[in-house]
Amino acid sequence: MIALASYKKNISRFQSVIALFILCIVLGVLSDKFFTAANGLNVLRQVAVNVCIATGMTLIVLTGGIDLSVGSVLALCGAITAGLLKNGLSFPSADLFVGFTILGAVLAAVIIGALLGSFSGIVVTSFRVPPFVATLAMLTIARGLTMLYTGGHPISNLGEDFAYIGTGSLLGVPVPVWIAAVVVLIAVFITRKTKLGRYIYAIGGNETAARLSGIRINKVKLTVYAIGAALAALGGVIVTSRLDSAQPNAGISYELDAIAAVVIGGTSLNGGKGSVWGTVIGAVIIGVLNNGLVLLNVSPFWQQVVKGAVILLAVIVDKAGDKKE
Amino acid sequence: MKKVVKYLLLLLVVGLVGYQSVYFRKLSEYRKATGEKFDAPAFSKKIWDEQLPGKSDSAIALTDLIHALEASPENAFAKHSHVLGIGNYRYSLVKAEATVAMINEDEIILQIAHADSLMIVRLATEFIYGNAIRDASGLVDIKDFTNTTDLNAISEELNRIVRTAVLPSFKKEVKQGDKIEITAAAEFNKEHLYFNNLELIPVSLRIIK
Repeated sequence: MIALASYKKNISRFQSVIALFILCIVLGVLSDKFFTAANGLNVLRQVAVNVCIATGMTLIVLTGGIDLSVGSVLALCGAITAGLLKNGLSFPSADLFVGFTILGAVLAAVIIGALLGSFSGIVVTSFRVPPFVATLAMLTIARGLTMLYTGGHPISNLGEDFAYIGTGSLLGVPVPVWIAAVVVLIAVFITRKTKLGRYIYAIGGNETAARLSGIRINKVKLTVYAIGAALAALGGVIVTSRLDSAQPNAGISYELDAIAAVVIGGTSLNGGKGSVWGTVIGAVIIGVLNNGLVLLNVSPFWQQVVKGAVILLAVIVDKAGDKKE
Repeated sequence: MKKVVKYLLLLLVVGLVGYQSVYFRKLSEYRKATGEKFDAPAFSKKIWDEQLPGKSDSAIALTDLIHALEASPENAFAKHSHVLGIGNYRYSLVKAEATVAMINEDEIILQIAHADSLMIVRLATEFIYGNAIRDASGLVDIKDFTNTTDLNAISEELNRIVRTAVLPSFKKEVKQGDKIEITAAAEFNKEHLYFNNLELIPVSLRIIK
């Protein structure tokens, strides 16, 4: 009996990995192009941005929150990176021009992303605005700021060195994949080995209990929103580099892909349960699904339907698991 | 003591990263070095007056291009077309002798002898938009530009020249049945190649009789 319970628990724990495995087998049978090295690298390259964003989203969702603004933050920070690289900052009154290297532009974008996330965090914690509403407002604000900053035009031709971030390879593996891997490893370390990680799970599990046990809830929440937006900014850098252009309408609906990756990966939307590794699997499932549907020549309209159905299924399975527990 | 060392190290790292991140110039010197604002009308006029006539003279005959595309699309596109960005669209500057079959409000239907039959193409006479002329000319290099606004401004200006300097007199004089000589920009989608009912964006037009 105990063995059966343990078996069921393991199945439940690895359900996303099993789903990914089955999906790969099915797509491998249906398309001879699926199991090729080039296609594998292509999937990983495409998934990398979502992994970065979804990793941040996981930390937020684990606290019981959500961030709908990551797509807009991605666009704004991508535009800022491109703008700073291209035009720097001018201060006519002081006859001063401040130019930015690639490192400077990327750092500036990530810092601005973190500040935007902190702002959302402050709104959520200090003003008790539900995360859904606070980040929805930030979604609109960041998109508007992107339009203001770019004038509605793309900022292009950012140079080959910058393009290496999004299109280059290191040891045969695309650079975005390396970046995503580093982000994931840091996030895994935070969630498993640090006090912050334990606090994140504690808050998501039972916020009142966490408060009573002395955890500074507001500080932790603010931190995860800042991290989430900073990772969205990093995603913006990768997207901008890959396209060699900052598009004012970049990142639209990226928040949905990130949330889908989190949910499919087994993180509970109620918080307190889930893992970064699960999210990585979730993001890969979405990437593989997208790739497979394209390889099978499925209409883009049907692709959306299928993706939606998979997300729905994941949530239903998650809820069923919660009920059993 | 430990804290002091920690803060000193932190300061050192921030200083190093900062030093590698930004650089400072006098704004006046920077502006001098990077040049004045891009003047799209002057740039486009120079292309139109000085460079495009030469390109028009050496444009490939539309029928020859179609033969080449039918034989080997990759080679034909590599030899006779241009593209500025990424994607499937390729642009070619073509010339042809054609007969005016029909004059519509926004286009002229032309017949061109091709192989043993007559090919139908549409010559745009009202809506001259897009980047076809700029890209087909092969005279604009994306690497020379820092933003797409300037690139788009060139297209806008070239299109405006066609609308104001090429089309009005031609539209006034052209009649059904006229034989005309055209140089035009043609757009092809590499993945969905078709030649009948092709739309051409005029660059130069001459009524022969």
